[in-house]
Amino acid sequence: MRRDIRIVGAGGHGVISAAIILAKVYGINESCNVSQTQSYGPEARGGACKAEVVVSDHDEIDYMKVEKADIFVAFNQLGYEQYKKQTKRDGVILVNSSLVTVDPEDAQKVYEIPASEIADTRFKPFAVNIVMLGALTKLLPKLQYQSTRDAIRGNFNQWAADMNLAAYDAGYHYIQNEYFLKKMA
Amino acid sequence: MLKKIDVMNHGEKVLQGNEACAEAAIHAGCRFFAGYPITPSTEIIEYLSEALLLQEEGSFLQAEDEISAMCAVIGARWGGKKSMTATSGPGFTLKQEALGYAVETETPVVVVNVQRGGPATGQPTFSSQQDIYQAKYGSHGDYEMICLAPASVQEMYDFTVKAFNLAERFRTPVILLADEIVGHMREKIQIPEQIAVEEHTPVKHCDKPFGRNEKNIPYAVHFFEGHNLLVEGQLHDEKGRRIGHLADKSGVFVGNLIDKIRKNQGDLVDIDHEFLEDAEVAVIAYGTVARSAKRAVRIAREKGIKAGLIKINIVWPFPEEQLKELAATIRTVIVPEMNMGKYCLEIQRCLKQSNVISVPKLGGIIHQPTELLHIIENETGERGR
Repeated sequence: MRRDIRIVGAGGHGVISAAIILAKVYGINESCNVSQTQSYGPEARGGACKAEVVVSDHDEIDYMKVEKADIFVAFNQLGYEQYKKQTKRDGVILVNSSLVTVDPEDAQKVYEIPASEIADTRFKPFAVNIVMLGALTKLLPKLQYQSTRDAIRGNFNQWAADMNLAAYDAGYHYIQNEYFLKKMA
Repeated sequence: MLKKIDVMNHGEKVLQGNEACAEAAIHAGCRFFAGYPITPSTEIIEYLSEALLLQEEGSFLQAEDEISAMCAVIGARWGGKKSMTATSGPGFTLKQEALGYAVETETPVVVVNVQRGGPATGQPTFSSQQDIYQAKYGSHGDYEMICLAPASVQEMYDFTVKAFNLAERFRTPVILLADEIVGHMREKIQIPEQIAVEEHTPVKHCDKPFGRNEKNIPYAVHFFEGHNLLVEGQLHDEKGRRIGHLADKSGVFVGNLIDKIRKNQGDLVDIDHEFLEDAEVAVIAYGTVARSAKRAVRIAREKGIKAGLIKINIVWPFPEEQLKELAATIRTVIVPEMNMGKYCLEIQRCLKQSNVISVPKLGGIIHQPTELLHIIENETGERGR
């Protein structure tokens, strides 16, 4: 089965880094076929940035980019507004609520996490992508908590890995507490 | 002669297209790289700046400009090392003089062009297929070029190996015409345990070092093997003597440059196709656009539309006879390209009996499958039924 994931934000948010980690976890740990692409401007920071990950259990991935997303992740308002309509009707949206105000019409399928606030106050501003990745882990099929942690550890040096793993856990537990445990209670 | 060699770090990997190209170059025996960094090909240079230096006898040169990088790889090949350079559109333009020199001196080198939008500085971070003609006709004079267009990270690996093999076999520069999408894309690929690599046994001490074999391909000679070699840009005879002032001999020499590719064109056909048996409409594509086309054709088939796909992997020399055969009964041919509609002209010239529709795309983005599907539906009268 094919899953189309689209992540948007600003240059410097770590949108592409998050997508690369996802691609590695799915490709290596979960033995899926995977295609990860990106689109960005010539600036090092700022400017719109988009990354896409297509995951397929068995089938060959023919088209490697995303038309309508199954899972849409928005780090900022600009990206949210630009691409929210390119999400499937039964798709899921995850937003960084520190920077995104959600359209009421999307309320049913939106998961919100104040990821910038969590990153800024508890970690470093540039850990926002890993906070979002933690949150995303709860929403994506076949993405294992432990294998994603392993991939994060492999992607950074020791200091950055420790901080990012804590940021990852913060994102993961936030969504678990706000959406899954509360619902059950 | 193709020789099987073991690949040390084989297996499944998630790699970027540019990394896969660099890795393949090393596996294929590349031991010299010169380049001048340019987006979106820079990762090839970055990767090889480390990886080549870990190889026995490997060396890497960050050149002062594009043409010197191209000249350096030509020199390195005559010195006995398989060599490669990588660039993007603006740099590819600057290399053209030396690329022609590689053609004329019959030097087997690999030139990677990870295309971006042009003209001029254009769109550094966006994709295109605008250099499709420059790859064939970019340098002055008459010659034939071999050019491969990869569409996936796996093909970035496989076609790079193939590019080295074809360069060695035909003693000519070979162009790997990638684009930003495939260069920057990451995918899971399979690096094989063994690959076939073209290895020449150099000819020693012959009196005609620029002589040709029965397929019109020159011998593999290097410096430091005992030949009296004059390698230079003026046309030359079998002994390497200048013949630019002799019309008949010059004509024969340039004819040989062309014929060694044209007359062996049958060995240079690489086309994938699917659903052609009963197809009424076919999409013909190369490079990454072929993947949009594949999706569009598969969706069309699910809807019961008789659509087929032809994906051309070796784009130059143009596979004229093979295309005529494959598309003989196809009424409508759709040719999507990330340019103003260039390769389409070759296809129109070749498939005179078909209705050939160009689907150009400018701005640096790829065709979406749904837009190609709409064209397929329109052409087969399936739309709005």
